[in-house]
Amino acid sequence: MSAAAPLRLALVGNPNSGKTALFNQLTGSRQKVANYAGVTVERKEGRLVSRSGRHYAVLDLPGAYSLHAASLDEAITRDLCRGYLPGEPAPDVLVCVVDGTNLRLHLRFALEVRELGKPMLLALNMADVARRRGIHIDLAVLARELGVPVVETVAVQQNGSAALVEQLDRMAEGLQPPQRQIAQGADLHQETRRLLAAAVQMPTRTASIDGALDRWLLHPVFGLVALALVMFLIFQAVYAWAAPLMGVIAAATGWLGDSVGAVLPEGPLSSLLVNGVIAGLGGVIVFLPQILILFAFILALEESGYLPRAAFLLDRMMASAGLSGRSFIPLLSSFACAIPGIMATRSIQDPRDRLATILVAPLMTCSARLPVYALLIGAFIPQRQVWGVFNQQGLVLFGLYVAGILSALMVSWVMKKWRRDKGEHPLLLELPSYRVPQVRDVLIGLWERAWIFLRRVGGIILALTILLWFLLSYPAAPGDGTLSAIEYSFAGRIGHAMTGIFAPIGFNWQICIALIPGMAAREVAVASLATVYALSAADDSAAAQALTPLIADGWSLATALSLLVWFIYAPMCISTLATIKRETNSWRKMSFATIYLFALAYGASFVTYQLAVLLGAG
Amino acid sequence: MSTSLLLQYFVIAVAVLLSVWVVAKRQFPGIVRKLRVAIALPLLREGRPAWMQLVGRWISPVKQTAADGCGGCDSCGPKI
Repeated sequence: MSAAAPLRLALVGNPNSGKTALFNQLTGSRQKVANYAGVTVERKEGRLVSRSGRHYAVLDLPGAYSLHAASLDEAITRDLCRGYLPGEPAPDVLVCVVDGTNLRLHLRFALEVRELGKPMLLALNMADVARRRGIHIDLAVLARELGVPVVETVAVQQNGSAALVEQLDRMAEGLQPPQRQIAQGADLHQETRRLLAAAVQMPTRTASIDGALDRWLLHPVFGLVALALVMFLIFQAVYAWAAPLMGVIAAATGWLGDSVGAVLPEGPLSSLLVNGVIAGLGGVIVFLPQILILFAFILALEESGYLPRAAFLLDRMMASAGLSGRSFIPLLSSFACAIPGIMATRSIQDPRDRLATILVAPLMTCSARLPVYALLIGAFIPQRQVWGVFNQQGLVLFGLYVAGILSALMVSWVMKKWRRDKGEHPLLLELPSYRVPQVRDVLIGLWERAWIFLRRVGGIILALTILLWFLLSYPAAPGDGTLSAIEYSFAGRIGHAMTGIFAPIGFNWQICIALIPGMAAREVAVASLATVYALSAADDSAAAQALTPLIADGWSLATALSLLVWFIYAPMCISTLATIKRETNSWRKMSFATIYLFALAYGASFVTYQLAVLLGAG
Repeated sequence: MSTSLLLQYFVIAVAVLLSVWVVAKRQFPGIVRKLRVAIALPLLREGRPAWMQLVGRWISPVKQTAADGCGGCDSCGPKI
């Protein structure tokens, strides 16, 4: 090898072993992200210069449970490690990253990698967590028994990969294949058990706690009851705990609007700032506490190790509805946003299961729907206790989430019947040990969520609010106009034209206007309604009112219910549709998703509205 | 029209144009990219004055080195 050519390292390992965190620490910002040729599997390459000045090209391979590939990701990893992937030179060194807290699973894969006979290094990641849990790993014995160097890494700690880089520098002097191979006739599980017995001492306490908890939480009946209870409590908390903070934000927004209105002279700029920007953004930002409470629970569950168990519990139900157990993770991700959820379907090996998951992922209630739900529930569902314990608004929110889940199961079941598919694919999932969530990690996660939300508010939502204000304000009413000014505006005319289609489902022209910018981001619908009502208010005091009482007075319950149902189904997100197109590489499938979701939304809203009117809620 | 009103309209025009740009870039990145290339190419032709080439370089999009990734809400869901 020439002195100038960097040594090629490939990071391999099971999913969630911390490969990507280690990759980020090794390469920092010196990364290039692309796709492997012809497939939608992400390829991440970065550069590393060690203290000794040696250059390395680092490749972060897709996570794999085995080199006997069961998915596209695993096939890419297998082919690249072997040097068979077209256009990709074989790596010089394989850095196998294993989770120190879950060696029983991860070492099995490390042994498979070792059998390739290439120079290899074992990075024992999450070494700090393993130590905290009382797992004692004898590195020297493990290295001797494996026949490859073993180093500890802590990918989430500064300098947590220093030992790895030093070892790489030592190895680079003369690359050696592994010193041991698996014995003829021995199987990988047997060999893993031998290694664990020789080099690892597990605390008995962790295993016994896990066992005791799993007996209840993975029970086919009690486990499902516990899962339902957990979800139910989350939605109760979203309403019960967020109210005081929401009140503070609403008051602050109102004060800001009044202050800006008092300082600026009457004119278009004052209208833009007060009725457009402050009313619009204030209407969305008020829901930040609810979003953060929801995510605090999700992050805590994720940290605790409970989520994979929920996947295990729901596997049978999902399989009978035409989805794979592997669909659980993408669908769960879709509760945050359908886009990463749809992208996560890459781990589903069966193309039909993958397509079914992609098509139903937009039915999961993403966080962008929460402001819309919260607004309508706040306006139309009285805040009172049910059976002396439950918050009625929380119950309705829980019902909306359940409606999304049941609809997804129903749609996938219909698709399964349609394609006459009887095959099922077994679920292979790693169940980590239970652990108490670290407050710091949850807070970091919440900070990230808050920052993402605020960036959206300051970016796309602000831009759309300004555009909507412009469309609602111009052209101005003619001198002899008899209607309110907004009715002569571009948006007013568009809204009135759209009511021809949406009147049967109870939408007025204000809602119709809000649906258009809502296609860019669902929560913009709330900002748009706030702007529409602020601009169409008869006087300033009416304009300064919060949106909730305005729609409570102006809409019927039937309209509100119809709009809630619309938002369960309608694919009001251009980015999601674009992601479906990219992931399926098919305009036809994307069009199918769009049409079926809009048809479902319209049909369900129509039935809801007409029924509600018949029952006297119109 | 008074100077104050003129100034207000100017600020609004800038805000609206910037918003159009943000929305277009975010929602229709492919179209925006093609548009930037189409505008920049004639400005970068050989023989164009230096200032025109400078404007062309400023307008032309940066080379794509990565897949377009999420492009949606910048968030990622829970990992299990």
